[in-house]
Amino acid sequence: MANVHDNTLERTAAKSKKGKWNQILKEKWLYLMVLPGLAYFLIFKYFPMWGIVIAFQDYSPFLGVFGSEWVGFEHFQYFFSNPDFLRLLRNTFILALYDLVFFFPAPIILALMLNEIRISIYKRALQTMVYVPHFMSWVIIASISYVFLTTGGGVVNDLIAKLIGQEINFLSSPEWFRPMIIGQIIWKETGWGTVIFLAALASVDQEQYEAAIVDGAGRFRRLWHVTLPALRSTIVILLILRLGNFLDTGFQQIYLMSNSLNRSVADVFDTYVYFVGITEGAFSYSTAVGLFKSVVGIVLIVGADRIAKKLGQGGLF
Amino acid sequence: MKTKFLRNLLMALFVFGVLILAGCSNNSETTGNDDQGESGEEGSEERMNIRVFAPTFTTEPPTDDSPVLKAIEDYTNKDITMEWAPNSNIEDKFNITLSSGDLPHIMVVPNKSPSFISAVEDGAFWELGPYLKDYPNLSQANEIILNNSSINGDIYGIYRSRNLGRTGVIIRKDWLENLGLEEPKTIDEFYNMLKAFKEQDPDGDGQDDTYGLVVSKYEGPWDVMQTWFGVPNRWGEDENGELYPFFMDDNYVESLNFFKKLYDEGLVNEDFAVMDPAQWSEPVISGEAGVQVNVLDEGHRIQDKIVEANPENTEPITVIKAVEGDHGLLNLPTSGYNGMLAISKTSVKSEEELKQVLDFIDKLGDEEAQILAGNGIEGRQYDIVDGELVNHAQDDPALLAEMDGLNQLLTFIPESKVLTPAGDPLRELEEKLMKENEEIVVANPAESYISEVYSKKGQQLDNIILDARVKYIVGQIDEAGLEEAIELWKQNGGTDYIAEINQLHQEAQK
Amino acid sequence: MHRMHNTGPGRVFDIFNHVFLAVVALITVVPFLYIIGGSFATESEIATRSFFVIPNEITTAAYDYIFSTDAVLRSLGISILITVLGTAVSMILTLTMAYPLSRKTMVGRNFILNLILFSMLFGGGMIPTYLLVKGLGLLDSIWALILPVAINPFNLIIVKTFFQELPKELEDASKIDGCTEFQTFWRVMLPLSKPVIATFTLFYAVFYWNDFFQALLYLTDTTKWPIQLLLQQLVMVANMGIGDLQEAQLYEPPEESVKLAVIVIATVPILLFYPFLQKHFAKGVMLGSVKG
Repeated sequence: MANVHDNTLERTAAKSKKGKWNQILKEKWLYLMVLPGLAYFLIFKYFPMWGIVIAFQDYSPFLGVFGSEWVGFEHFQYFFSNPDFLRLLRNTFILALYDLVFFFPAPIILALMLNEIRISIYKRALQTMVYVPHFMSWVIIASISYVFLTTGGGVVNDLIAKLIGQEINFLSSPEWFRPMIIGQIIWKETGWGTVIFLAALASVDQEQYEAAIVDGAGRFRRLWHVTLPALRSTIVILLILRLGNFLDTGFQQIYLMSNSLNRSVADVFDTYVYFVGITEGAFSYSTAVGLFKSVVGIVLIVGADRIAKKLGQGGLF
Repeated sequence: MKTKFLRNLLMALFVFGVLILAGCSNNSETTGNDDQGESGEEGSEERMNIRVFAPTFTTEPPTDDSPVLKAIEDYTNKDITMEWAPNSNIEDKFNITLSSGDLPHIMVVPNKSPSFISAVEDGAFWELGPYLKDYPNLSQANEIILNNSSINGDIYGIYRSRNLGRTGVIIRKDWLENLGLEEPKTIDEFYNMLKAFKEQDPDGDGQDDTYGLVVSKYEGPWDVMQTWFGVPNRWGEDENGELYPFFMDDNYVESLNFFKKLYDEGLVNEDFAVMDPAQWSEPVISGEAGVQVNVLDEGHRIQDKIVEANPENTEPITVIKAVEGDHGLLNLPTSGYNGMLAISKTSVKSEEELKQVLDFIDKLGDEEAQILAGNGIEGRQYDIVDGELVNHAQDDPALLAEMDGLNQLLTFIPESKVLTPAGDPLRELEEKLMKENEEIVVANPAESYISEVYSKKGQQLDNIILDARVKYIVGQIDEAGLEEAIELWKQNGGTDYIAEINQLHQEAQK
Repeated sequence: MHRMHNTGPGRVFDIFNHVFLAVVALITVVPFLYIIGGSFATESEIATRSFFVIPNEITTAAYDYIFSTDAVLRSLGISILITVLGTAVSMILTLTMAYPLSRKTMVGRNFILNLILFSMLFGGGMIPTYLLVKGLGLLDSIWALILPVAINPFNLIIVKTFFQELPKELEDASKIDGCTEFQTFWRVMLPLSKPVIATFTLFYAVFYWNDFFQALLYLTDTTKWPIQLLLQQLVMVANMGIGDLQEAQLYEPPEESVKLAVIVIATVPILLFYPFLQKHFAKGVMLGSVKG
């Protein structure tokens, strides 16, 4: 309904140039309102984009952009021929995949389980508790992880040692790095992730349940036929969004959890750009790597948007 | 009702925001003036303002109104603005500041990092060599350390002097006594001691809860111990005068096998690769581990803590220099300096100003300034009672916060004049061993060479070798894996690096 | 309310469900309780881990130590200031920008939207942004922690979508009453947006509270450090090398209980803040994102 209405208006608006100007004048308030935000984007997002050119230079801060030597695609060539390239690609991809497989379903399952709780005080108490970790910064999560997981003193490893007789080197072995990262994400964000699903569940028409009960549907059939379909569109949208941001791994988290033993699997694009660029001062090279990541990111987002439209979700934005 | 409330709230927030905005932009203007404060402030007779970039280890370094900082300002007749950067992110902060192109007058440069060198090449810092002779303290700088800290012979920063022979082994003396052991003289005895510390219940509590050597994420101890085996200090020189990196030395694998043995037998802590270096001494203090390879002066700090917890245990710690291997008694030196004070050309524009800044640094070498920065103000942070130092700052965070970190400004040229507490036997032993160490330390023949390859890929190259060493010790890779890592090192630029260093070496020999 | 008729397997499931969720809730909360407990424990108890959550001997030594200087309190104050101010700025900018963009009649709307989308994918990187902040004279000002991150484009787009979903009739009615767009926004739309305002106030507040990275980049004046940066410096590794140890001669690493106490102090305020908004945000999140 609303869409039809919009389209007609748009069409009338776009009828002539004069019409356009009238339209702008008529809605001058809109432009005034959009101005501060637009200024923000132009100043803080677009102005610094000149920085992209240093990916094609041997940038030196003291010579400036105009004084630095142009090297074309040299940094890109170096990056692609560097063994780091495949390693980064692999690490980022695997971590994102783990995230999708192990973390993504967790809030859905938790929300469904919470939804089955009928004692509302208990339910609210549970919700409040599982939301707590979301509010902690990664600095806090990382230090808690260290307190609990370290060998020779960590609470969790004390327990494991009692159970299986030996400790597990969670913090330093490459094979435990990814499970640890995903575990942290699950611990921190699962509870919070249920918010959106619980909200969707709350809006399910109770009559549908009543009808299902009348039809003699058991609990699990109700779950399957009424509850899950109600979540479908939410799940699909979130899934597509996640795919669009596939390469975005949590910078602060990985930055805080990586060390010399697990670096082979820990390095991802975001941390690599920081370590090489800021800690080591290779400004141009790291900018080139960052630029590459952005380009891949665009491809993914556009792809995800196409999929969304195909599935009839009306695009991402 | 409700909607009205919300609207009012938003309105209030907005007004609040505008007010604060106005307030704060005033603030930033005044700080802006401070920054360019060469014009000086009224009343303080045209004191030059000097901005200093320095690392801080505390979360509460001295602020502008610290009485100690003010005293130093009075002594040097300069206006000092400290720009602190947390030590754990010092390199990040340093690079960001470099990239801004607007550098404070004095920067504590943590090391000769690639970005520092390229900034030097682009003319960001003054070359100080010709000026030093004009200053009473700075003219006494040590030539060897100056050379170590130079960039291919040119001096772009005044080194912050440190003891060359600080490294050593810290041992739980009470454990040795409990087990009837002597201080180890050789590597074999060292190993036997560690084994005994693990297996023979040195603390006598009847439980298997001790081990030998504690190592943290910081890789220094491995570097030190491999030196005992005759592995060169970063670069070795073969019979033809060619330089080669330390890990290509014949003794390298032997030393690694020793480390691996320590690890496999549980004589070293299993989590060494991730252990927080800040916690490094804890196991020795709490009686889990018996040995630490560290700077010698950590010995008395550990001892003080053990004694504090258990006053009956009067002398729980002893220290030794090193243990002897097949190639004699060898030890790893420190470079003799830790970071340097570089003077930027962006803030210090004329030679006139440069001389003022150098004068400032020189004055900081005076006894009075060193004591101010290192001990604080007499009668406030410390007192001299019967000729001995009594420190008040240690127990009072507020007093400590007035001075903690100002010693980062000290170069200790010509020598440290900071007051030290009356020496107990252990401290005196440490001092003595540091002097003796200078006889047995292995110099790095390539210390002052600045390699272009290294400045580009040094970190990456180092990581390959460091990671491989740790992995070998914990058994993730074998000798073939070690070879592979070295091959990878070569392919990633190591071969060029060796060639370049040798070229620089030959030029320097001429 | 209808009653669920509990059949046999349903009952088993219910019991399992209750127990399982209780365990989940415990797992999420226990680490934090342990941290709180530890902050009141003596150093020796922490070292030996002889307690679970509640230490045998309770001491406030860690807190006494922390509050013996004003650094932590000052940092807390700064964090609160940044959070309040930043959230206010962000909300004002986000709401005023989102509303016009929700109006499909607006000429140039798509252009601006694309501008925003593009900026989410491309950026100049840290160095140019740093130079910009410096050029604006914001270094060492708390505005440097707010302005460069004032609008989160994701939030903006969700709020925009929310406005879009509000019934058209209301706008039309207010227009007929002779209201300008701003008046419509102010009198009609905002009052309807309570859940959204609550939600994104919370989002921005959490973001500003937890961020340490901006502070690390832009502040050299340590008296302006927010609590998270202080915490990061206390808890995270101070990379000490051989040479560095002498630098640290006067500096003793803080005791474990002090670290734990700072963690508690850094977390509690934001936890206190959120129940006030909790009522609304669930609704807000959903409204914004179900129809993306």
